[in-house]
Amino acid sequence: MKSTEGGRGVLSASSRLQMAYRVFIGAFFFGRKGLIIWDSWEMWVMQIFITPIAQMGFFAFLSVYLKYPLSVTQFIVVGNALQSMSFSAVFAVANITSQDKWQGTLPSTMVTPANRVALFIGRAWFQVLLSSLIAGAGLLYAGTVFGVSFAQADFLGVAVVVFLTSIAMTTFGLLISAVGLYMRTALIVANIFLFVTMLLCGIDFAVSTLPIWLQPLSWAIPLTYGVEAVRMAIAGASITTLLPILGWEALDAALVMLAGFGLFSGFELLSRRTGRFEEY
Amino acid sequence: MQVLEQKPTNAESREWAVWVKGLTREYTTRNFFGGVTRSTWALSGIDFQIAYGELFGLIGPNGAGKTTTIKILTTLLTPTGGDALILGLDVRKDLYEIRRRIGIVFGGERGLYNRVSAVDNLRYFSDLYGVDPGVARKRIPQLLEVVGLAGREKERVEKYSRGMKQRLHIAKALVHDPELIFLDEPTIGLDPAGARDIRNMVRDLKAQGKTILLTTHYMFEAEELCQRVGVISKGKIVALDTPSELKNMVRDISVIDLKTYGATMDYVEALRALPNVVRVVADLESEQQSIRIQTPLGADLLPKVVAALPEGAKIIDRTIKEPTLEDAYLRLVEE
Amino acid sequence: MVSMHDLPPGKRVSGYFAQKAQVLKASIFLTRKLFFADPQWVIPNIIAPFVFTMVAFFLFQGQTSGSSFLLYLVLGSGLMGMWGTTIYASANSIGFDRWNGTMEATLAAPVPLSWIALGRVLFNTLQGVINAVFILVIGLAWFRVGFSLVNPAAFFLASVATFLSLSSFGLLLTTILLLSRKGGFITNSMEIPVYIATGTMFPIILLPIVYLPFAFMLAPTWGIEAIRTAALPGYVGLPTTYWEDMVIMAAETFAYLGLAFFLFKRVEAYAKRIGTLEEY
Repeated sequence: MKSTEGGRGVLSASSRLQMAYRVFIGAFFFGRKGLIIWDSWEMWVMQIFITPIAQMGFFAFLSVYLKYPLSVTQFIVVGNALQSMSFSAVFAVANITSQDKWQGTLPSTMVTPANRVALFIGRAWFQVLLSSLIAGAGLLYAGTVFGVSFAQADFLGVAVVVFLTSIAMTTFGLLISAVGLYMRTALIVANIFLFVTMLLCGIDFAVSTLPIWLQPLSWAIPLTYGVEAVRMAIAGASITTLLPILGWEALDAALVMLAGFGLFSGFELLSRRTGRFEEY
Repeated sequence: MQVLEQKPTNAESREWAVWVKGLTREYTTRNFFGGVTRSTWALSGIDFQIAYGELFGLIGPNGAGKTTTIKILTTLLTPTGGDALILGLDVRKDLYEIRRRIGIVFGGERGLYNRVSAVDNLRYFSDLYGVDPGVARKRIPQLLEVVGLAGREKERVEKYSRGMKQRLHIAKALVHDPELIFLDEPTIGLDPAGARDIRNMVRDLKAQGKTILLTTHYMFEAEELCQRVGVISKGKIVALDTPSELKNMVRDISVIDLKTYGATMDYVEALRALPNVVRVVADLESEQQSIRIQTPLGADLLPKVVAALPEGAKIIDRTIKEPTLEDAYLRLVEE
Repeated sequence: MVSMHDLPPGKRVSGYFAQKAQVLKASIFLTRKLFFADPQWVIPNIIAPFVFTMVAFFLFQGQTSGSSFLLYLVLGSGLMGMWGTTIYASANSIGFDRWNGTMEATLAAPVPLSWIALGRVLFNTLQGVINAVFILVIGLAWFRVGFSLVNPAAFFLASVATFLSLSSFGLLLTTILLLSRKGGFITNSMEIPVYIATGTMFPIILLPIVYLPFAFMLAPTWGIEAIRTAALPGYVGLPTTYWEDMVIMAAETFAYLGLAFFLFKRVEAYAKRIGTLEEY
């Protein structure tokens, strides 16, 4: 590390910022490269075209079978369209740490004096973009295949909600990948989390039908706000009407990120103490 | 792909534990349409034989074809051409019979189930190799004692040191009592004591009449253990003889061994440029720099060596030695 | 002190069936050891089924169609749990040896890879049965459904047959995973389409007609049908009888097995040609 003229390894604010930026850019490309498996076209086809449509179809058919009215089926279709981003946002990000472990590159990543926050954020940007794309495709299917009407929709509002929710859900992926630093189970935790979003985030049924004691947990997950907001935007709510709920979502995402960073540092310390980087 | 059709049936081939003639292996990369885009020869026709009960060494630089040879002989890879008989059996046809009668020790960390214990690993492999369960119950604990893991056999393998894992590898290779054992760089990455233990086990196996094929990077190891050594380079066997006969090839030279401080690559180049210097091998990166000079002049070269020393550099120690297998090896693989 | 000379000679087991039985035993033994060596198995087997059933509960809340209908759903979610475990575990059966570095040692053993894989898949499918039983118990308790079956013996027989058909399907998946580096993702994205096609949660009659041939090719479709016929009073499903379902399932199961063993031969020949299966 280069020290400034002040000596003793203390960096000036601007050079610290510069360094954070470099780490961020490096991590951005690494995050993309780390997911080697994503570099195949089959993977893209699966994630963007097949998985969302299969999931939406599954629950739509179920709703039809249960003889629910069309409005309920469409409620379910829109919820699942947005939820389908969770795989790339959460699972794929958590996967990066696991891959590091399998490939034995984790210690070499961790011993670099890189700014942790920058590392943390830089790894996830690619996932944010991809998640937006997947949710966008899901909504496109909702309109074309499943007959959800977008006639009233505020498209700017929909776009803002999708993008914000992608960021917010990726922070959850980072939180889980922080767990992965210490535990062998990050991928399984991520898997469980995907199930839990189905249960808690108002995807297939309204949050208000959950027991009262479960509802605070729902509102701790940013997807819950996102799903509600996207339904509002499709129904024609303007961006100003959406501002309060988006504000809460952003605040929630910030808190999740803070928690993730806390865990990242904490587990890193623990990992170092117990030397568990390489176990899987 | 060219495959020799006739299987050698002559009595000669039955007398050898390993009998290899004209063995080739070509690696091809194919493009999407199945066309060959690139082809490399890993082995371009090798011949050698190993007698029953012999300890045979195969040495050569990385990428010379050692691993390819071992893979073919252990039936993991099909040769492109030529013939190989293991215990009189054809590597192309008699896969399972060969596999039952040979043991393989892979170098490095791979090949063990780290999350379960040593006993579990041995039980699993002994069943895969078809060992009678009654025999296995007696054989496994004794084997663990022989390799010095008794008392820790119930611990997960991931807790083992590198040396313990390697000893377990040996136990794993012996679990079905094979007649022929392949040891692929068995001492790589071990500390000196661990490596010595492994070498002692190899000697014990030899004393028991097992046939052994050993590959190694360490020339002193091959010199110490092997009855005959094959040197493989660029897919060909370039020499095959006893260690002492191989050393005879470099009888004409002696070796100046220098321990230096502050020497540079320029100095090494200057040494190489001196008349009558056959070869200079230098390791300047280690804390203790070492330079090895092969020359027919012996001590007579020393004044010139000292004179070429740059300012600030020092010779800490110097020895004039007889050439070793390593010197012969260096000559062989570089020619 | 024991020396090398004191070791008893390694006598071998003889007889074709005794040898194969020994390989199966060894493979099941190791898979069980590896499974219990890692406590994370608790999550897919206990937590995931619980969440699954919860989602079903909230979706069906307010449906008062009686206990036979609820048993239909509970049986369906149990089978989904079994399917999920089979697909997930097939990906990990021989694939595990790849990233564990034991592929070479496994290939070097004097037994066909297919028998080793079969042992792994059998144990993993059994794990899926435990998973399904958990879902059943949770679902029955949650919905307060009485577990009365029309024909318990036929139900038991159909369940065992479905277990075997899932195992053979798992074995077939294992070969696909060994042949293709993208196999893991192909099977991942197969999960939901396969739930839909086999009629786990709603009758396949609801599906678009182009989907039906795919549904009929999956042996568990017939297994689920047979199980429901044996369990539910007055069940109306496909126009086949219980025994017709069983015969079709058996035929398809044998077809899977035949194809799997054939593909394993190809995999082994391929491995020998290139000298490894370690690399992806």
